[in-house]
Amino acid sequence: MGVEDNRSQLVAALARVAGGERAALQIVYRDTSAKLFGVCLRILNDRSEAEDVLQEVYLTVWRKASSFDPARASPVTWLVAIARNRSIDRLRATAGGRRMEAIEAAEEVRDPALVASELVEAAQESTRLNLCLEQLEPRQSTAIRSAFLDGNTYEELAERMKVPLGTMKSWIRRGLLKLRDCLER
Amino acid sequence: MTDPRTPAQEEADKLMAAEYVLGVLGAEDRRAAQQRMTHDQAFASEVAFWEERLGVFADAVAPVAPPDRAWSRLARAIRLPDPSKPRESLWQSLTFWRSFAIGAAVIAAASLGALTFIEIAPAPRAALLATLGAANGQPAFVAAVNADSTSLTVVPAALLTQDPRAMELWLIPAGDKPHSLGLIVPGRAVRIELPRELTGRITPDTALAVSMEPPGGSPSGQPSGPVIASGKLMRL
Repeated sequence: MGVEDNRSQLVAALARVAGGERAALQIVYRDTSAKLFGVCLRILNDRSEAEDVLQEVYLTVWRKASSFDPARASPVTWLVAIARNRSIDRLRATAGGRRMEAIEAAEEVRDPALVASELVEAAQESTRLNLCLEQLEPRQSTAIRSAFLDGNTYEELAERMKVPLGTMKSWIRRGLLKLRDCLER
Repeated sequence: MTDPRTPAQEEADKLMAAEYVLGVLGAEDRRAAQQRMTHDQAFASEVAFWEERLGVFADAVAPVAPPDRAWSRLARAIRLPDPSKPRESLWQSLTFWRSFAIGAAVIAAASLGALTFIEIAPAPRAALLATLGAANGQPAFVAAVNADSTSLTVVPAALLTQDPRAMELWLIPAGDKPHSLGLIVPGRAVRIELPRELTGRITPDTALAVSMEPPGGSPSGQPSGPVIASGKLMRL
Protein backbone atom coordinates (compact mmCIF):
# COMPACT_ATOMS: atom_id res chain seq x y z
CA MET A 1 0.00 0.00 0.00
CA GLY A 2 1.36 3.39 -0.99
CA VAL A 3 2.27 6.20 1.34
CA GLU A 4 -0.57 8.40 0.04
CA ASP A 5 -3.13 5.62 0.59
CA ASN A 6 -1.92 5.20 4.18
CA ARG A 7 -2.25 8.89 4.72
CA SER A 8 -5.72 9.27 3.27
CA GLN A 9 -6.99 6.21 5.15
CA LEU A 10 -5.70 7.69 8.37
CA VAL A 11 -7.25 11.08 7.52
CA ALA A 12 -10.57 9.31 6.81
CA ALA A 13 -10.39 7.36 10.06
CA LEU A 14 -9.66 10.55 12.03
CA ALA A 15 -12.64 12.25 10.37
CA ARG A 16 -14.81 9.38 11.60
CA VAL A 17 -13.31 9.61 15.09
CA ALA A 18 -14.21 13.31 15.01
CA GLY A 19 -17.77 12.24 14.28
CA GLY A 20 -17.78 10.19 17.47
CA GLU A 21 -17.31 6.80 15.83
CA ARG A 22 -15.63 4.50 18.32
CA ALA A 23 -14.77 1.82 15.78
CA ALA A 24 -12.74 4.36 13.80
CA LEU A 25 -10.55 4.99 16.84
CA GLN A 26 -9.77 1.29 16.76
CA ILE A 27 -8.53 1.70 13.16
CA VAL A 28 -6.34 4.66 14.15
CA TYR A 29 -5.01 2.67 17.11
CA ARG A 30 -4.34 -0.42 15.00
CA ASP A 31 -2.36 1.58 12.44
CA THR A 32 -0.40 3.91 14.72
CA SER A 33 -0.11 2.53 18.26
CA ALA A 34 3.21 0.72 17.68
CA LYS A 35 4.78 3.89 16.31
CA LEU A 36 3.42 6.07 19.11
CA PHE A 37 4.31 3.51 21.79
CA GLY A 38 7.86 3.54 20.41
CA VAL A 39 7.91 7.35 20.65
CA CYS A 40 6.61 7.33 24.25
CA LEU A 41 8.97 4.56 25.28
CA ARG A 42 11.99 6.33 23.80
CA ILE A 43 11.22 9.46 25.86
CA LEU A 44 10.01 7.84 29.08
CA ASN A 45 12.36 4.84 29.07
CA ASP A 46 9.83 2.94 31.21
CA ARG A 47 7.22 0.54 29.81
CA SER A 48 4.56 1.06 32.43
CA GLU A 49 4.79 4.87 32.24
CA ALA A 50 4.75 4.64 28.44
CA GLU A 51 1.62 2.46 28.57
CA ASP A 52 -0.12 5.01 30.80
CA VAL A 53 0.81 7.86 28.52
CA LEU A 54 -0.28 5.91 25.41
CA GLN A 55 -3.73 5.68 26.98
CA GLU A 56 -3.76 9.46 27.52
CA VAL A 57 -2.61 9.98 23.94
CA TYR A 58 -5.52 8.06 22.39
CA LEU A 59 -8.03 9.60 24.77
CA THR A 60 -6.72 12.97 23.56
CA VAL A 61 -7.14 11.78 19.95
CA TRP A 62 -10.68 10.65 20.79
CA ARG A 63 -11.59 14.05 22.21
CA LYS A 64 -9.59 16.31 19.89
CA ALA A 65 -9.84 14.58 16.50
CA SER A 66 -12.02 17.41 15.22
CA SER A 67 -9.14 19.85 15.71
CA PHE A 68 -6.96 17.87 13.29
CA ASP A 69 -6.71 19.82 10.03
CA PRO A 70 -5.32 17.72 7.16
CA ALA A 71 -4.51 20.92 5.24
CA ARG A 72 -2.06 21.99 7.94
CA ALA A 73 -0.52 18.80 9.26
CA SER A 74 0.01 15.22 8.24
CA PRO A 75 -1.94 12.78 10.42
CA VAL A 76 1.19 10.98 11.65
CA THR A 77 2.92 14.24 12.54
CA TRP A 78 -0.17 15.33 14.46
CA LEU A 79 -0.29 12.04 16.38
CA VAL A 80 3.46 12.02 17.06
CA ALA A 81 3.22 15.58 18.43
CA ILE A 82 0.49 14.49 20.87
CA ALA A 83 2.54 11.44 21.94
CA ARG A 84 5.71 13.51 22.44
CA ASN A 85 3.97 16.32 24.31
CA ARG A 86 2.19 13.93 26.66
CA SER A 87 5.40 11.98 27.26
CA ILE A 88 7.51 15.07 27.91
CA ASP A 89 4.88 16.52 30.25
CA ARG A 90 4.91 13.23 32.16
CA LEU A 91 8.70 13.17 32.21
CA ARG A 92 8.86 16.69 33.63
CA ALA A 93 6.31 15.79 36.30
CA THR A 94 8.30 12.76 37.51
CA ALA A 95 11.92 12.44 38.47
CA GLY A 96 12.88 8.95 37.29
CA GLY A 97 13.22 7.10 34.01
CA ARG A 98 15.25 9.75 32.31
CA ARG A 99 17.50 8.76 29.45
CA MET A 100 20.93 9.97 30.52
CA GLU A 101 23.54 7.92 28.64
CA ALA A 102 26.38 9.98 27.21
CA ILE A 103 25.87 11.07 23.61
CA GLU A 104 28.79 10.71 21.24
CA ALA A 105 28.34 12.81 18.16
CA ALA A 106 29.97 10.17 15.96
CA GLU A 107 27.49 7.49 17.07
CA GLU A 108 24.52 9.14 15.44
CA VAL A 109 24.09 7.22 12.23
CA ARG A 110 20.70 7.02 10.56
CA ASP A 111 19.52 3.48 10.03
CA PRO A 112 18.08 3.21 6.50
CA ALA A 113 15.82 0.31 7.53
CA LEU A 114 14.11 2.44 10.13
CA VAL A 115 13.77 5.38 7.79
CA ALA A 116 11.83 3.13 5.42
CA SER A 117 9.28 2.33 8.13
CA GLU A 118 5.73 1.96 6.86
CA LEU A 119 4.63 5.15 8.55
CA VAL A 120 7.22 7.32 6.84
CA GLU A 121 5.05 9.48 4.70
CA ALA A 122 6.74 12.81 4.33
CA ALA A 123 9.79 11.71 2.38
CA GLN A 124 10.22 15.19 0.99
CA GLU A 125 9.97 16.79 4.42
CA SER A 126 12.50 14.32 5.77
CA THR A 127 14.97 15.05 2.97
CA ARG A 128 14.63 18.76 3.54
CA LEU A 129 15.21 18.49 7.28
CA ASN A 130 18.29 16.35 6.70
CA LEU A 131 19.69 18.74 4.11
CA CYS A 132 19.20 21.64 6.51
CA LEU A 133 20.74 19.71 9.41
CA GLU A 134 23.82 19.07 7.29
CA GLN A 135 24.44 22.81 7.24
CA LEU A 136 24.83 22.85 11.02
CA GLU A 137 27.89 21.75 12.93
CA PRO A 138 27.65 17.99 13.64
CA ARG A 139 27.46 18.54 17.41
CA GLN A 140 24.60 21.03 16.89
CA SER A 141 22.56 18.64 14.79
CA THR A 142 23.34 15.78 17.20
CA ALA A 143 22.11 17.84 20.15
CA ILE A 144 18.93 18.86 18.30
CA ARG A 145 18.13 15.31 17.20
CA SER A 146 18.76 13.89 20.70
CA ALA A 147 16.62 16.60 22.29
CA PHE A 148 13.71 15.78 20.00
CA LEU A 149 13.90 12.01 20.37
CA ASP A 150 14.72 11.75 24.08
CA GLY A 151 12.88 14.79 25.45
CA ASN A 152 15.89 16.04 27.40
CA THR A 153 16.13 19.52 28.93
CA TYR A 154 19.07 21.82 28.19
CA GLU A 155 20.61 20.78 31.51
CA GLU A 156 20.37 17.07 30.73
CA LEU A 157 21.76 17.53 27.24
CA ALA A 158 24.69 19.53 28.60
CA GLU A 159 25.44 16.69 31.01
CA ARG A 160 25.06 14.01 28.35
CA MET A 161 27.33 15.79 25.87
CA LYS A 162 29.71 16.92 28.63
CA VAL A 163 29.63 20.65 27.83
CA PRO A 164 28.67 23.65 29.98
CA LEU A 165 24.97 24.57 30.07
CA GLY A 166 25.58 27.93 28.37
CA THR A 167 27.39 26.22 25.51
CA MET A 168 24.53 23.76 25.01
CA LYS A 169 21.93 26.54 25.00
CA SER A 170 23.86 28.52 22.46
CA TRP A 171 24.47 25.45 20.20
CA ILE A 172 20.80 24.62 20.13
CA ARG A 173 19.42 28.15 19.87
CA ARG A 174 21.78 29.15 17.07
CA GLY A 175 21.12 25.79 15.44
CA LEU A 176 17.34 26.29 15.59
CA LEU A 177 17.49 29.80 14.11
CA LYS A 178 19.68 28.59 11.27
CA LEU A 179 17.43 25.60 10.75
CA ARG A 180 14.38 27.82 10.57
CA ASP A 181 15.91 29.99 7.84
CA CYS A 182 16.82 26.90 5.85
CA LEU A 183 13.46 25.13 6.33
CA GLU A 184 11.51 28.23 5.34
CA ARG A 185 13.20 28.50 1.97
CA MET B 1 -2.61 39.58 21.20
CA THR B 2 -2.43 41.83 18.17
CA ASP B 3 0.08 44.29 19.65
CA PRO B 4 2.93 45.01 17.28
CA ARG B 5 6.10 43.27 18.38
CA THR B 6 9.66 44.37 17.88
CA PRO B 7 11.83 42.15 15.65
CA ALA B 8 13.78 41.08 18.74
CA GLN B 9 10.57 40.01 20.52
CA GLU B 10 9.44 38.19 17.40
CA GLU B 11 12.70 36.30 17.26
CA ALA B 12 12.48 35.41 20.97
CA ASP B 13 8.91 34.15 20.41
CA LYS B 14 9.94 32.05 17.45
CA LEU B 15 12.78 30.59 19.45
CA MET B 16 10.48 29.73 22.34
CA ALA B 17 8.09 27.91 19.98
CA ALA B 18 11.03 25.94 18.57
CA GLU B 19 12.35 25.12 22.04
CA TYR B 20 8.89 23.97 23.10
CA VAL B 21 8.55 21.60 20.15
CA LEU B 22 12.11 20.37 20.52
CA GLY B 23 11.30 19.49 24.12
CA VAL B 24 14.17 21.24 25.91
CA LEU B 25 12.02 23.44 28.16
CA GLY B 26 11.40 22.69 31.83
CA ALA B 27 7.93 22.06 33.29
CA GLU B 28 7.15 25.71 34.02
CA ASP B 29 8.21 27.06 30.61
CA ARG B 30 6.30 24.24 28.91
CA ARG B 31 3.12 25.21 30.73
CA ALA B 32 3.65 28.85 29.76
CA ALA B 33 4.09 27.84 26.10
CA GLN B 34 0.99 25.61 26.17
CA GLN B 35 -1.03 28.40 27.75
CA ARG B 36 0.17 30.84 25.14
CA MET B 37 -0.81 28.59 22.25
CA THR B 38 -4.44 28.88 23.31
CA HIS B 39 -4.65 32.62 22.72
CA ASP B 40 -1.68 33.66 20.56
CA GLN B 41 -2.34 32.59 16.97
CA ALA B 42 1.11 33.59 15.68
CA PHE B 43 2.77 31.55 18.40
CA ALA B 44 0.51 28.56 17.73
CA SER B 45 1.37 28.73 14.00
CA GLU B 46 5.04 28.78 14.84
CA VAL B 47 4.60 25.67 17.01
CA ALA B 48 2.74 24.00 14.12
CA PHE B 49 5.58 24.93 11.76
CA TRP B 50 8.15 23.16 13.95
CA GLU B 51 5.94 20.17 14.68
CA GLU B 52 5.51 19.54 10.98
CA ARG B 53 9.20 20.06 10.13
CA LEU B 54 10.85 18.31 13.09
CA GLY B 55 8.20 15.59 13.23
CA VAL B 56 10.13 13.58 10.66
CA PHE B 57 12.80 12.88 13.30
CA ALA B 58 10.30 10.36 14.64
CA ASP B 59 10.85 8.25 11.51
CA ALA B 60 13.99 7.05 13.27
CA VAL B 61 12.03 5.64 16.22
CA ALA B 62 11.41 1.92 15.84
CA PRO B 63 7.76 0.90 16.37
CA VAL B 64 7.12 -1.16 19.51
CA ALA B 65 3.82 -3.04 19.74
CA PRO B 66 2.04 -2.10 22.98
CA PRO B 67 0.63 -4.99 25.07
CA ASP B 68 -2.95 -6.09 24.24
CA ARG B 69 -4.18 -4.86 27.61
CA ALA B 70 -3.45 -1.29 26.47
CA TRP B 71 -6.21 -1.52 23.84
CA SER B 72 -8.66 -3.24 26.23
CA ARG B 73 -8.16 -0.45 28.73
CA LEU B 74 -8.71 2.21 26.10
CA ALA B 75 -11.81 0.44 24.74
CA ARG B 76 -13.26 0.43 28.25
CA ALA B 77 -12.41 4.11 28.71
CA ILE B 78 -14.31 5.15 25.58
CA ARG B 79 -17.04 2.53 26.25
CA LEU B 80 -16.61 0.54 23.08
CA PRO B 81 -19.23 -2.23 23.04
CA ASP B 82 -18.08 -5.24 25.08
CA PRO B 83 -17.28 -8.02 22.58
CA SER B 84 -18.77 -10.62 24.94
CA LYS B 85 -22.24 -9.04 24.59
CA PRO B 86 -22.43 -7.82 21.00
CA ARG B 87 -26.20 -8.05 20.54
CA GLU B 88 -27.17 -6.08 23.56
CA SER B 89 -24.55 -3.40 22.96
CA LEU B 90 -25.44 -3.06 19.31
CA TRP B 91 -29.12 -2.77 20.16
CA GLN B 92 -28.39 -0.12 22.76
CA SER B 93 -26.29 1.84 20.37
CA LEU B 94 -28.89 1.55 17.58
CA THR B 95 -31.60 2.78 19.90
CA PHE B 96 -29.44 5.69 20.89
CA TRP B 97 -28.54 6.60 17.35
CA ARG B 98 -32.10 6.20 16.12
CA SER B 99 -33.50 8.59 18.70
CA PHE B 100 -30.67 11.01 18.04
CA ALA B 101 -31.29 10.87 14.29
CA ILE B 102 -35.03 11.40 14.67
CA GLY B 103 -34.39 14.37 16.92
CA ALA B 104 -31.97 15.83 14.40
CA ALA B 105 -34.45 15.21 11.56
CA VAL B 106 -37.05 17.22 13.45
CA ILE B 107 -34.60 20.07 13.87
CA ALA B 108 -33.74 19.83 10.18
CA ALA B 109 -37.41 19.87 9.18
CA ALA B 110 -37.97 22.93 11.37
CA SER B 111 -35.04 24.74 9.78
CA LEU B 112 -36.36 23.84 6.33
CA GLY B 113 -39.43 25.94 7.02
CA ALA B 114 -37.22 28.98 7.45
CA LEU B 115 -35.47 28.58 4.12
CA THR B 116 -36.54 30.95 1.41
CA PHE B 117 -36.00 28.50 -1.37
CA ILE B 118 -36.07 24.75 -1.16
CA GLU B 119 -34.68 23.18 -4.26
CA ILE B 120 -35.77 19.66 -3.61
CA ALA B 121 -37.71 18.32 -0.66
CA PRO B 122 -36.16 15.34 1.11
CA ALA B 123 -37.48 11.91 0.22
CA PRO B 124 -40.49 11.13 2.38
CA ARG B 125 -39.24 7.67 3.37
CA ALA B 126 -35.52 7.27 3.93
CA ALA B 127 -33.88 3.89 3.76
CA LEU B 128 -30.77 5.21 5.49
CA LEU B 129 -30.17 8.39 7.40
CA ALA B 130 -27.10 10.09 8.84
CA THR B 131 -26.74 12.96 11.24
CA LEU B 132 -23.51 14.81 10.62
CA GLY B 133 -22.40 16.22 13.94
CA ALA B 134 -20.08 19.19 14.25
CA ALA B 135 -17.15 19.35 16.69
CA ASN B 136 -19.40 20.87 19.36
CA GLY B 137 -21.66 17.80 19.19
CA GLN B 138 -24.54 19.69 17.57
CA PRO B 139 -26.01 18.22 14.39
CA ALA B 140 -24.85 20.30 11.40
CA PHE B 141 -26.42 18.33 8.52
CA VAL B 142 -28.85 15.51 8.09
CA ALA B 143 -28.39 13.25 5.06
CA ALA B 144 -31.04 10.84 3.81
CA VAL B 145 -30.44 8.15 1.19
CA ASN B 146 -33.47 7.38 -0.97
CA ALA B 147 -34.99 3.89 -0.92
CA ASP B 148 -33.08 2.51 -3.92
CA SER B 149 -29.74 4.09 -2.87
CA THR B 150 -29.42 6.13 -6.05
CA SER B 151 -29.47 9.57 -4.48
CA LEU B 152 -28.82 11.39 -1.25
CA THR B 153 -30.51 14.49 0.12
CA VAL B 154 -28.49 16.71 2.42
CA VAL B 155 -30.30 19.17 4.65
CA PRO B 156 -28.49 21.72 6.82
CA ALA B 157 -29.58 21.30 10.42
CA ALA B 158 -27.81 24.32 11.85
CA LEU B 159 -26.82 27.74 10.68
CA LEU B 160 -23.15 27.66 9.79
CA THR B 161 -20.69 30.51 9.86
CA GLN B 162 -20.16 32.38 6.63
CA ASP B 163 -16.96 30.89 5.30
CA PRO B 164 -15.75 31.74 1.80
CA ARG B 165 -14.46 28.22 1.32
CA ALA B 166 -16.53 25.53 -0.37
CA MET B 167 -18.05 22.61 1.52
CA GLU B 168 -17.42 19.22 0.01
CA LEU B 169 -19.35 16.10 0.94
CA TRP B 170 -17.49 12.79 1.26
CA LEU B 171 -18.71 9.24 1.39
CA ILE B 172 -16.42 6.95 3.39
CA PRO B 173 -17.26 3.24 3.16
CA ALA B 174 -15.87 1.24 6.11
CA GLY B 175 -12.16 0.56 5.60
CA ASP B 176 -12.01 2.63 2.41
CA LYS B 177 -10.83 6.11 1.57
CA PRO B 178 -13.19 9.05 1.10
CA HIS B 179 -15.08 9.41 -2.19
CA SER B 180 -16.19 12.89 -3.13
CA LEU B 181 -19.93 13.40 -3.62
CA GLY B 182 -19.43 16.98 -4.75
CA LEU B 183 -19.99 20.36 -3.21
CA ILE B 184 -22.94 21.20 -1.00
CA VAL B 185 -24.53 24.54 -0.34
CA PRO B 186 -24.93 25.71 3.25
CA GLY B 187 -28.43 26.96 3.97
CA ARG B 188 -30.41 24.80 1.61
CA ALA B 189 -31.29 21.22 0.90
CA VAL B 190 -29.56 19.60 -2.04
CA ARG B 191 -30.06 16.26 -3.73
CA ILE B 192 -26.98 14.45 -4.95
CA GLU B 193 -27.14 11.62 -7.45
CA LEU B 194 -24.85 8.86 -6.21
CA PRO B 195 -22.25 7.61 -8.69
CA ARG B 196 -23.25 4.13 -9.87
CA GLU B 197 -20.05 2.50 -8.58
CA LEU B 198 -20.89 3.69 -5.08
CA THR B 199 -24.54 2.66 -4.87
CA GLY B 200 -23.54 -0.83 -3.67
CA ARG B 201 -21.38 0.69 -0.93
CA ILE B 202 -24.16 2.50 0.88
CA THR B 203 -24.49 0.45 4.06
CA PRO B 204 -25.02 1.29 7.73
CA ASP B 205 -21.23 1.17 8.19
CA THR B 206 -20.64 4.01 5.75
CA ALA B 207 -19.70 7.43 7.06
CA LEU B 208 -20.37 10.84 5.57
CA ALA B 209 -18.21 13.87 6.22
CA VAL B 210 -18.14 17.50 5.15
CA SER B 211 -14.81 19.28 4.72
CA MET B 212 -13.91 22.88 3.94
CA GLU B 213 -12.18 23.15 0.59
CA PRO B 214 -10.96 25.77 -1.87
CA PRO B 215 -13.57 27.06 -4.36
CA GLY B 216 -14.41 24.27 -6.78
CA GLY B 217 -13.54 21.55 -4.30
CA SER B 218 -10.45 19.66 -3.16
CA PRO B 219 -7.79 19.71 -5.89
CA SER B 220 -6.42 16.32 -4.83
CA GLY B 221 -9.66 14.34 -4.83
CA GLN B 222 -9.18 13.69 -1.11
CA PRO B 223 -10.24 15.94 1.78
CA SER B 224 -7.63 18.71 2.11
CA GLY B 225 -9.30 21.07 4.59
CA PRO B 226 -10.74 20.62 8.08
CA VAL B 227 -13.65 18.24 8.53
CA ILE B 228 -16.48 20.32 9.96
CA ALA B 229 -19.07 17.58 10.39
CA SER B 230 -19.27 13.83 10.09
CA GLY B 231 -21.55 10.96 10.96
CA LYS B 232 -22.52 7.41 10.11
CA LEU B 233 -25.45 6.14 8.08
CA MET B 234 -28.02 4.13 9.99
CA ARG B 235 -31.26 2.40 9.19
CA LEU B 236 -34.39 4.01 10.50
